[in-house]
Amino acid sequence: MNKKTYILVSLIWMPFTAALQAQQPVAPTDAPVGSARGENYGNYNITDSFETGYRWKSVGGDIGKYQSDVNFGNGLRLLGSNLTIDSRDGHGHYFDQLILTTQGLGNDPYQFASFRVQKNQLYRYDLLWRETAYDDPALTIANGQHLMNTSRRMQDHSFVLFPQSNFRFFLGYGRDVQDGPALSTIQLFNSPRADEFPLFENIRRQQDEYRVGAEAIFFGMKLSVLRGWEVFKDDTIDQVNQFQPGNNPTDAVTLSSFQRSQPYHGTTDNWQVHLLTDKSRFYSVTGRFAYAGGSRDFIFNQNAIGADRGDPSRTRQTYIYGSGRRPSLASSLTLSLFLTKKVTVVNNTAFNNTRMDGNNTYTEITDSTQQANTVNFQYLGIRTVINTTDLNFRATDWFTLYSGYQFSTRHIKSIEDGAFPGDPLTGITAEQNNTIHAGEFGLRLRPIKPLTVTVDAEIGRADHPFTPISEKNYHALSGRVQYKWKSVVLSAFSKANYNNNSISITSASSHSRNYGASASWTPAAWFSLDASYNKIHLDTLSGIAYFLSGSLVNSTSVYVSNIHAGNLGARFSVRKRVDLYVGYNHTQDTGDGRSTASVLAQSSAFNGIDPFYLAQTFPLIYQSPLARVSVKLNNKIRWNLGYQFYRYGEQFFAQQNYRAHTGYTSLTWAF
Amino acid sequence: MGVLRAFSLFFVVLVVTPAQNRPATTPLAATAGGYVGGSVCKTCHPNVTVSFYKNPHYKSVASGKEPPERTGCEGCHGPGKAHVEAQGGKATIPHAFSLMPPAAILDRCLTCHVKEVPRANIRRSSHTLADVVCTNCHSIHKSTTPQFLLAKGQADLCSGCHTDVRAQFSMPFKHRVLEGAMKCTDCHNPHGTAAVTWRMGLRPRMVSQALATEEPCLKCHIDKRGPFVFEHGGVRVEGCETCHSPHGSMNAKLLKRPVVFTVCLECHNGAGTFGRENIGVYTQSSSHNMADPRFQNCTTCHVRIHGSNADATFLR
Repeated sequence: MNKKTYILVSLIWMPFTAALQAQQPVAPTDAPVGSARGENYGNYNITDSFETGYRWKSVGGDIGKYQSDVNFGNGLRLLGSNLTIDSRDGHGHYFDQLILTTQGLGNDPYQFASFRVQKNQLYRYDLLWRETAYDDPALTIANGQHLMNTSRRMQDHSFVLFPQSNFRFFLGYGRDVQDGPALSTIQLFNSPRADEFPLFENIRRQQDEYRVGAEAIFFGMKLSVLRGWEVFKDDTIDQVNQFQPGNNPTDAVTLSSFQRSQPYHGTTDNWQVHLLTDKSRFYSVTGRFAYAGGSRDFIFNQNAIGADRGDPSRTRQTYIYGSGRRPSLASSLTLSLFLTKKVTVVNNTAFNNTRMDGNNTYTEITDSTQQANTVNFQYLGIRTVINTTDLNFRATDWFTLYSGYQFSTRHIKSIEDGAFPGDPLTGITAEQNNTIHAGEFGLRLRPIKPLTVTVDAEIGRADHPFTPISEKNYHALSGRVQYKWKSVVLSAFSKANYNNNSISITSASSHSRNYGASASWTPAAWFSLDASYNKIHLDTLSGIAYFLSGSLVNSTSVYVSNIHAGNLGARFSVRKRVDLYVGYNHTQDTGDGRSTASVLAQSSAFNGIDPFYLAQTFPLIYQSPLARVSVKLNNKIRWNLGYQFYRYGEQFFAQQNYRAHTGYTSLTWAF
Repeated sequence: MGVLRAFSLFFVVLVVTPAQNRPATTPLAATAGGYVGGSVCKTCHPNVTVSFYKNPHYKSVASGKEPPERTGCEGCHGPGKAHVEAQGGKATIPHAFSLMPPAAILDRCLTCHVKEVPRANIRRSSHTLADVVCTNCHSIHKSTTPQFLLAKGQADLCSGCHTDVRAQFSMPFKHRVLEGAMKCTDCHNPHGTAAVTWRMGLRPRMVSQALATEEPCLKCHIDKRGPFVFEHGGVRVEGCETCHSPHGSMNAKLLKRPVVFTVCLECHNGAGTFGRENIGVYTQSSSHNMADPRFQNCTTCHVRIHGSNADATFLR
């Protein structure tokens, strides 16, 4: 798109961005079918709807990027379904409520199902199931050699016995499985005079979680205890079965065979205890104690055969075994004081303590000669004490003042060591304390019933940030106005965050400013309009250091992002028979305003193009218009047709750009 | 059958009609405290009561054991005697939620819901502090969702105020919330949470914790949990948001910068007293020549950047 066309399109588009709101993918259809009140069968009432149809797609450009962003494909689907069964007197024989909701079953990339069945007083069972296809070519990461084409299947079961009783019992089980092919990379043989090789990776990970617990109410208090066990295993393997010249084929390092297995198994047993009191006239108290004791064991076995500099036949075997532990404790106590009807003070004190340590034994055999045999140990401990106090003063029914003070102190201890077996571990020990103080102030106004105004400000000071980009001297300002009257909702907000983390050698400053406005208007049952616009601005300046041909360079990293995000949705209904929805979504980063990527070197050392200058901005457009029509054939059947277009366009680099046409047709029916 | 229908009609006329035409001065058979019972409310509000059996609050009616102040219409709205005697009017309802200030709404709902663990931190939640209370999200009588009495579907409901977050979910790289694969409540507890265990623990106040002690990212990203022999200090101390924008991003892998080396070098500059050893976060090795494109892709070699069991510099 040339500049004139771009300006023209922008001018046409801008009026619509004055007040936009977002949209969801074109399918499943959200038009209702069947009786809203359902049908009565005996003592039960049933509502249901099922949408079955065919999806299609046509993609031009980088299909890998399309699969990463959108990923809807071709084929028959149960696009969505809803089933609810309710007993009409609350005394069903086996259950009083049953709810089943599904989405995308059949082969959509995002499949979802939830199920609930419960009988009052006796039990409640919930199931959540999801399957997500994860395709990511990640062309801009690691030269595109960290591709993933995996699927993730998650399920969670939760059972409550006597849900309305003073004594309840819980059982739960969850499973998360990730598997599929992927690419990874390995650096061989002798860093840094080595080469990088892509690997085939067969990902196989699984987590099972078991939960059991109980709650009891006595003397105006509730005590809740939950015990859980997370069991994890990762049996991913990596291999290369044919000659690989490496990413830098001009050097002498090659790889002809590679196998790696690294089984990594362990458990995290955990406790959660809560104590809650009734709200009395003057106070309420909640307490929490949580503990998770994570541990993992592993063995790492890697065999590589290839050629190294000066060694045309190199073999390297690496054996590593060891374990890691992470006991973690989190506790807090919240005291709410209702001093008068107008004044509430809430104080929270929390104590968190996490200790991580791990050790391994490392053995490396190169060309049948043991090159290394070491024992390594690392420890990282984080202990944090947090205290926050919030004060609410409700001056009138339409005017509230809020203020808060927050304090946190964190102690970090680190030990790092490596030694030959038998030698003592002396360790590099370091300790530090970080402290932050922050104050907040806010106003909440409701001068007339439809209008609400909130204003907030926060200022904080930290004495010892952990990283150069952490919060140090910061302040944040935000405000929101909302007008809600009958069929109109108008709102606007502004948020600004400023952080300055400067020291004598380097500095990091970050300014983010968000502005947004949205409108929703439903003047009649046959027409509604939703719209929103957001500007998300970020500019950062960070001190960086890097090496150029062995010389250290102190410089700055600048990043500027100016994202304009707009969304428009309009819904029309014709004679209660035809529903039409049109929408448009536009997200655009205009960057720092430069028109081309190619610039002369900021430093002659880079032979033409400075990578840091290129990294300062990344303008692109992502847009997606859609249209959908739904026709009511009779009270129990609707016919739906939809189309959605996606366009991804980077301004400077076109390798990932694509255009995709997607659509579907379906029948929604109720029995 | 006809006799039965005639008897039913007679019964309705006999019982219901006098109730509808009852003059204001007619004394009600109210219990102590002015509670009249839900059947009286049904006379004038049949649209509310006809499908109330689908409402979770109907459990209090079905049990038949709850006292009047904890069941049915009056369980939430208060005793109805004055309202009935005045023949309607919001002003005569002791707890008319549309007329109540936010704090009063919260107090009213917490009368019953105060002792539920997911709401244990509601008093300190960002929503409560901003006067966003129960009825801003929940519609007790006109809910559009089969569970949780939400006024809208969850994604629409949250993005009604958090339009900037919804804009992030419309970016090319995002968690699939608008697509229905995830929900806001997978990571957030809109009723408030305990102090988080990462960063300095002050914020955020609405993010759930995996296994009650960890960032919610680890609920799904199970391979990043660890523990590892070699932990990446920045990840464990400051959290995933040090490098990632969790809702959505214009950059691959939800990174905060479009190019990986800038993410790394903004911390790894060796300056000051940052990092786990108080001597600055390590600079890159002097053997890394940034004029060579191979060194501009940090994670090509440092593949285990979230933590490694084999190598202190995350090479494998």
